[in-house]
Amino acid sequence: MMFAVFASLSLALVLGWFGRRSIAVACMALCFGLAVAEFLWEIYSPEYGFRMPWIQTRVIDGPFAPDLAVAQLTQPRGDLS
Amino acid sequence: MSENTMTAGMASLKQPGVRTLPAVLNHLYLLAMMTVIAGILTAAMVMQYVWGELPCPLCLLQRAAMLGVCFGIMQQFRHGLSNRNTGVSLLFTVFLLVVSVRQTLLDIYPRPDHEYVGSAIFGLHMPVWSVLIALALLIALAFELIFWGGKDHMREARLADHPPIRALATAVSLYVIALALINFGSVVLQCGVSECHTFGYALLDSLTGAPATSN
Repeated sequence: MMFAVFASLSLALVLGWFGRRSIAVACMALCFGLAVAEFLWEIYSPEYGFRMPWIQTRVIDGPFAPDLAVAQLTQPRGDLS
Repeated sequence: MSENTMTAGMASLKQPGVRTLPAVLNHLYLLAMMTVIAGILTAAMVMQYVWGELPCPLCLLQRAAMLGVCFGIMQQFRHGLSNRNTGVSLLFTVFLLVVSVRQTLLDIYPRPDHEYVGSAIFGLHMPVWSVLIALALLIALAFELIFWGGKDHMREARLADHPPIRALATAVSLYVIALALINFGSVVLQCGVSECHTFGYALLDSLTGAPATSN
Protein backbone atom coordinates (compact mmCIF):
# COMPACT_ATOMS: atom_id res chain seq x y z
CA MET A 1 0.00 0.00 0.00
CA MET A 2 2.99 2.29 0.57
CA PHE A 3 3.59 2.03 -3.18
CA ALA A 4 0.11 3.45 -3.83
CA VAL A 5 0.60 6.22 -1.26
CA PHE A 6 3.76 7.51 -2.92
CA ALA A 7 2.43 6.91 -6.45
CA SER A 8 -0.64 9.09 -5.81
CA LEU A 9 1.47 11.65 -3.96
CA SER A 10 3.98 11.95 -6.80
CA LEU A 11 1.18 12.12 -9.35
CA ALA A 12 -0.54 14.89 -7.36
CA LEU A 13 2.65 16.96 -7.14
CA VAL A 14 3.43 16.57 -10.85
CA LEU A 15 -0.15 17.26 -11.98
CA GLY A 16 -0.36 20.22 -9.60
CA TRP A 17 2.80 21.63 -11.11
CA PHE A 18 1.40 21.33 -14.64
CA GLY A 19 -1.81 23.14 -13.67
CA ARG A 20 -4.22 20.19 -13.45
CA ARG A 21 -5.52 21.42 -10.13
CA SER A 22 -8.72 19.40 -9.74
CA ILE A 23 -7.06 16.07 -10.65
CA ALA A 24 -4.10 16.91 -8.43
CA VAL A 25 -6.36 17.62 -5.45
CA ALA A 26 -8.23 14.35 -6.12
CA CYS A 27 -4.93 12.46 -6.18
CA MET A 28 -3.85 14.14 -2.95
CA ALA A 29 -7.17 13.23 -1.30
CA LEU A 30 -6.63 9.63 -2.44
CA CYS A 31 -3.07 9.76 -1.07
CA PHE A 32 -4.34 11.02 2.29
CA GLY A 33 -6.95 8.26 2.53
CA LEU A 34 -4.41 5.59 1.62
CA ALA A 35 -1.88 7.01 4.09
CA VAL A 36 -4.42 6.93 6.94
CA ALA A 37 -5.37 3.34 6.05
CA GLU A 38 -1.68 2.36 5.88
CA PHE A 39 -1.04 4.02 9.25
CA LEU A 40 -3.93 2.18 10.92
CA TRP A 41 -2.78 -1.11 9.37
CA GLU A 42 0.79 -0.56 10.55
CA ILE A 43 -0.07 0.23 14.17
CA TYR A 44 -2.66 -2.54 14.53
CA SER A 45 -1.44 -5.55 16.46
CA PRO A 46 -3.36 -8.85 16.52
CA GLU A 47 -2.34 -9.16 20.16
CA TYR A 48 -3.00 -5.65 21.46
CA GLY A 49 -5.26 -4.10 18.82
CA PHE A 50 -4.64 -0.34 18.80
CA ARG A 51 -3.80 -0.29 22.50
CA MET A 52 -0.33 0.34 23.88
CA PRO A 53 -0.15 -1.81 27.02
CA TRP A 54 3.56 -1.11 27.56
CA ILE A 55 2.78 2.48 28.57
CA GLN A 56 -0.36 1.76 30.54
CA THR A 57 -0.13 2.61 34.20
CA ARG A 58 -1.88 1.18 37.21
CA VAL A 59 -2.93 2.81 40.41
CA ILE A 60 -0.17 2.71 42.98
CA ASP A 61 -1.93 2.13 46.28
CA GLY A 62 1.21 1.55 48.33
CA PRO A 63 4.03 3.90 49.26
CA PHE A 64 6.53 4.81 46.56
CA ALA A 65 9.57 2.57 46.36
CA PRO A 66 12.86 4.33 47.13
CA ASP A 67 14.83 5.36 44.11
CA LEU A 68 17.25 2.65 43.05
CA ALA A 69 20.19 5.00 42.50
CA VAL A 70 19.72 6.67 45.88
CA ALA A 71 19.45 3.24 47.52
CA GLN A 72 22.75 2.15 45.98
CA LEU A 73 24.52 5.31 47.11
CA THR A 74 23.27 5.01 50.68
CA GLN A 75 24.04 1.29 51.03
CA PRO A 76 27.36 0.49 52.77
CA ARG A 77 29.96 -0.94 50.37
CA GLY A 78 31.21 -3.77 52.56
CA ASP A 79 33.68 -5.25 50.09
CA LEU A 80 35.72 -2.05 49.90
CA SER A 81 35.68 -0.98 53.53
CA MET B 1 -8.57 63.36 11.23
CA SER B 2 -9.77 65.54 8.36
CA GLU B 3 -11.55 64.22 5.31
CA ASN B 4 -8.60 65.13 3.11
CA THR B 5 -6.24 63.08 5.25
CA MET B 6 -8.56 60.08 5.13
CA THR B 7 -8.88 60.36 1.36
CA ALA B 8 -5.10 60.49 1.03
CA GLY B 9 -4.79 57.42 3.27
CA MET B 10 -7.28 55.46 1.18
CA ALA B 11 -5.47 56.47 -1.98
CA SER B 12 -2.16 55.22 -0.61
CA LEU B 13 -3.75 51.84 0.19
CA LYS B 14 -4.78 51.53 -3.43
CA GLN B 15 -1.24 51.97 -4.64
CA PRO B 16 0.19 48.68 -5.95
CA GLY B 17 3.30 48.86 -3.75
CA VAL B 18 1.31 49.14 -0.54
CA ARG B 19 -1.17 46.43 -1.51
CA THR B 20 1.42 43.89 -2.73
CA LEU B 21 3.78 44.10 0.24
CA PRO B 22 1.70 41.70 2.41
CA ALA B 23 1.48 39.28 -0.52
CA VAL B 24 5.26 39.43 -1.04
CA LEU B 25 5.85 38.77 2.65
CA ASN B 26 3.36 35.88 2.58
CA HIS B 27 5.08 34.35 -0.44
CA LEU B 28 8.49 34.69 1.22
CA TYR B 29 7.13 33.14 4.41
CA LEU B 30 5.72 30.15 2.50
CA LEU B 31 8.94 29.84 0.52
CA ALA B 32 10.95 29.69 3.75
CA MET B 33 8.62 27.01 5.13
CA MET B 34 8.96 24.85 2.03
CA THR B 35 12.74 25.32 1.96
CA VAL B 36 13.01 24.10 5.57
CA ILE B 37 10.86 21.05 4.79
CA ALA B 38 12.96 20.32 1.70
CA GLY B 39 16.08 20.52 3.87
CA ILE B 40 14.61 18.09 6.41
CA LEU B 41 13.65 15.63 3.66
CA THR B 42 17.12 15.95 2.16
CA ALA B 43 18.69 15.16 5.55
CA ALA B 44 16.44 12.10 5.89
CA MET B 45 17.51 10.89 2.45
CA VAL B 46 21.19 11.46 3.25
CA MET B 47 20.68 9.25 6.33
CA GLN B 48 19.10 6.64 4.07
CA TYR B 49 21.53 6.60 1.16
CA VAL B 50 24.81 7.64 2.79
CA TRP B 51 24.48 6.16 6.29
CA GLY B 52 22.48 3.14 5.09
CA GLU B 53 19.58 3.65 7.51
CA LEU B 54 16.47 2.41 5.76
CA PRO B 55 13.24 4.17 6.75
CA CYS B 56 10.54 2.25 8.61
CA PRO B 57 6.93 2.33 7.30
CA LEU B 58 5.90 5.04 9.78
CA CYS B 59 8.99 7.07 8.79
CA LEU B 60 7.89 6.83 5.14
CA LEU B 61 4.41 8.04 6.11
CA GLN B 62 6.01 11.01 7.86
CA ARG B 63 7.89 11.84 4.67
CA ALA B 64 4.62 11.59 2.72
CA ALA B 65 2.99 13.96 5.22
CA MET B 66 5.78 16.52 4.79
CA LEU B 67 5.44 16.29 1.01
CA GLY B 68 1.69 16.82 1.47
CA VAL B 69 2.41 20.04 3.37
CA CYS B 70 4.61 21.10 0.44
CA PHE B 71 1.74 20.32 -1.96
CA GLY B 72 -0.45 22.87 -0.18
CA ILE B 73 2.30 25.49 -0.35
CA MET B 74 2.98 24.79 -4.03
CA GLN B 75 -0.73 25.29 -4.77
CA GLN B 76 -0.43 28.71 -3.11
CA PHE B 77 2.38 29.56 -5.52
CA ARG B 78 0.63 28.18 -8.59
CA HIS B 79 -2.98 29.27 -8.05
CA GLY B 80 -2.83 32.22 -5.68
CA LEU B 81 -3.01 32.60 -1.92
CA SER B 82 -5.99 30.83 -0.42
CA ASN B 83 -7.08 29.51 2.95
CA ARG B 84 -8.13 26.30 1.20
CA ASN B 85 -4.50 25.55 0.33
CA THR B 86 -3.48 26.37 3.89
CA GLY B 87 -6.09 23.83 5.00
CA VAL B 88 -4.42 21.14 2.88
CA SER B 89 -1.07 21.87 4.54
CA LEU B 90 -2.73 21.89 7.95
CA LEU B 91 -4.37 18.50 7.34
CA PHE B 92 -1.05 16.87 6.48
CA THR B 93 0.66 18.58 9.42
CA VAL B 94 -1.87 17.07 11.82
CA PHE B 95 -1.32 13.69 10.15
CA LEU B 96 2.45 14.12 10.62
CA LEU B 97 1.89 14.89 14.31
CA VAL B 98 -0.35 11.84 14.85
CA VAL B 99 2.05 9.44 13.11
CA SER B 100 5.17 10.77 14.82
CA VAL B 101 3.58 10.78 18.30
CA ARG B 102 2.37 7.20 17.79
CA GLN B 103 5.84 6.11 16.67
CA THR B 104 7.44 7.87 19.63
CA LEU B 105 5.06 6.10 22.01
CA LEU B 106 5.71 2.79 20.27
CA ASP B 107 9.36 2.80 21.29
CA ILE B 108 9.26 4.98 24.38
CA TYR B 109 9.48 2.00 26.74
CA PRO B 110 12.57 -0.18 26.18
CA ARG B 111 11.64 -3.79 25.42
CA PRO B 112 12.98 -6.54 23.17
CA ASP B 113 12.84 -5.79 19.42
CA HIS B 114 11.62 -2.27 20.06
CA GLU B 115 14.03 0.58 19.94
CA TYR B 116 14.16 3.88 18.12
CA VAL B 117 15.21 3.40 14.52
CA GLY B 118 18.16 5.31 13.11
CA SER B 119 20.81 7.45 14.69
CA ALA B 120 20.17 10.12 17.29
CA ILE B 121 20.79 13.69 16.13
CA PHE B 122 21.56 16.10 18.97
CA GLY B 123 20.32 13.40 21.33
CA LEU B 124 16.92 12.99 19.69
CA HIS B 125 15.78 10.24 17.35
CA MET B 126 13.87 10.93 14.14
CA PRO B 127 10.33 10.26 15.49
CA VAL B 128 10.93 12.77 18.28
CA TRP B 129 12.29 15.28 15.78
CA SER B 130 9.16 14.69 13.69
CA VAL B 131 6.97 15.62 16.65
CA LEU B 132 8.90 18.87 17.04
CA ILE B 133 8.76 19.53 13.28
CA ALA B 134 4.99 18.96 13.24
CA LEU B 135 4.52 21.34 16.17
CA ALA B 136 6.71 23.96 14.46
CA LEU B 137 4.66 23.61 11.26
CA LEU B 138 1.39 23.97 13.18
CA ILE B 139 2.66 27.15 14.82
CA ALA B 140 3.97 28.46 11.50
CA LEU B 141 0.63 27.84 9.76
CA ALA B 142 -1.22 29.47 12.66
CA PHE B 143 0.96 32.58 12.31
CA GLU B 144 0.34 32.60 8.56
CA LEU B 145 -3.41 32.68 9.19
CA ILE B 146 -3.03 35.33 11.89
CA PHE B 147 -0.99 37.69 9.71
CA TRP B 148 -2.35 37.04 6.22
CA GLY B 149 -5.59 35.06 6.56
CA GLY B 150 -9.00 36.42 5.54
CA LYS B 151 -7.76 39.17 3.23
CA ASP B 152 -9.65 39.02 -0.05
CA HIS B 153 -7.23 41.13 -2.06
CA MET B 154 -4.45 38.58 -1.36
CA ARG B 155 -6.20 36.11 -3.68
CA GLU B 156 -5.38 38.27 -6.67
CA ALA B 157 -1.68 38.36 -5.79
CA ARG B 158 0.38 36.46 -8.32
CA LEU B 159 3.98 35.33 -8.16
CA ALA B 160 4.45 36.43 -11.77
CA ASP B 161 4.52 40.03 -10.52
CA HIS B 162 7.73 39.31 -8.58
CA PRO B 163 10.23 37.51 -10.84
CA PRO B 164 12.98 36.92 -8.21
CA ILE B 165 10.57 35.27 -5.75
CA ARG B 166 8.97 33.39 -8.61
CA ALA B 167 12.35 31.98 -9.68
CA LEU B 168 13.15 30.88 -6.13
CA ALA B 169 9.70 29.32 -5.68
CA THR B 170 10.03 27.48 -8.98
CA ALA B 171 13.46 26.11 -8.03
CA VAL B 172 12.35 24.92 -4.58
CA SER B 173 9.10 23.48 -5.97
CA LEU B 174 10.94 21.49 -8.63
CA TYR B 175 13.40 20.28 -6.00
CA VAL B 176 10.52 19.06 -3.81
CA ILE B 177 8.93 17.28 -6.79
CA ALA B 178 12.29 15.64 -7.49
CA LEU B 179 12.50 14.54 -3.84
CA ALA B 180 9.02 13.02 -4.09
CA LEU B 181 9.91 11.12 -7.25
CA ILE B 182 13.17 9.83 -5.74
CA ASN B 183 11.25 8.74 -2.63
CA PHE B 184 8.70 6.99 -4.84
CA GLY B 185 11.48 5.10 -6.63
CA SER B 186 13.07 4.25 -3.30
CA VAL B 187 9.75 2.91 -1.94
CA VAL B 188 9.38 0.75 -5.05
CA LEU B 189 12.84 -0.72 -4.45
CA GLN B 190 12.40 -1.13 -0.70
CA CYS B 191 8.81 -2.37 -0.51
CA GLY B 192 7.79 -3.40 -4.01
CA VAL B 193 4.00 -3.55 -3.97
CA SER B 194 3.75 -5.35 -0.65
CA GLU B 195 4.66 -4.76 3.00
CA CYS B 196 7.63 -2.53 3.85
CA HIS B 197 10.57 -3.79 5.90
CA THR B 198 13.82 -2.21 7.01
CA PHE B 199 15.88 -5.33 6.23
CA GLY B 200 16.92 -4.11 2.80
CA TYR B 201 15.69 -3.19 -0.64
CA ALA B 202 13.28 -6.10 -1.16
CA LEU B 203 12.83 -5.63 -4.90
CA LEU B 204 16.58 -5.43 -5.54
CA ASP B 205 17.19 -8.49 -3.38
CA SER B 206 14.52 -10.47 -5.19
CA LEU B 207 15.94 -9.48 -8.57
CA THR B 208 19.52 -10.36 -7.66
CA GLY B 209 18.51 -13.41 -5.62
CA ALA B 210 20.42 -12.09 -2.59
CA PRO B 211 18.98 -12.76 0.86
CA ALA B 212 17.65 -9.76 2.75
CA THR B 213 20.20 -8.40 5.19
CA SER B 214 19.41 -6.71 8.44
CA ASN B 215 20.82 -3.26 9.13
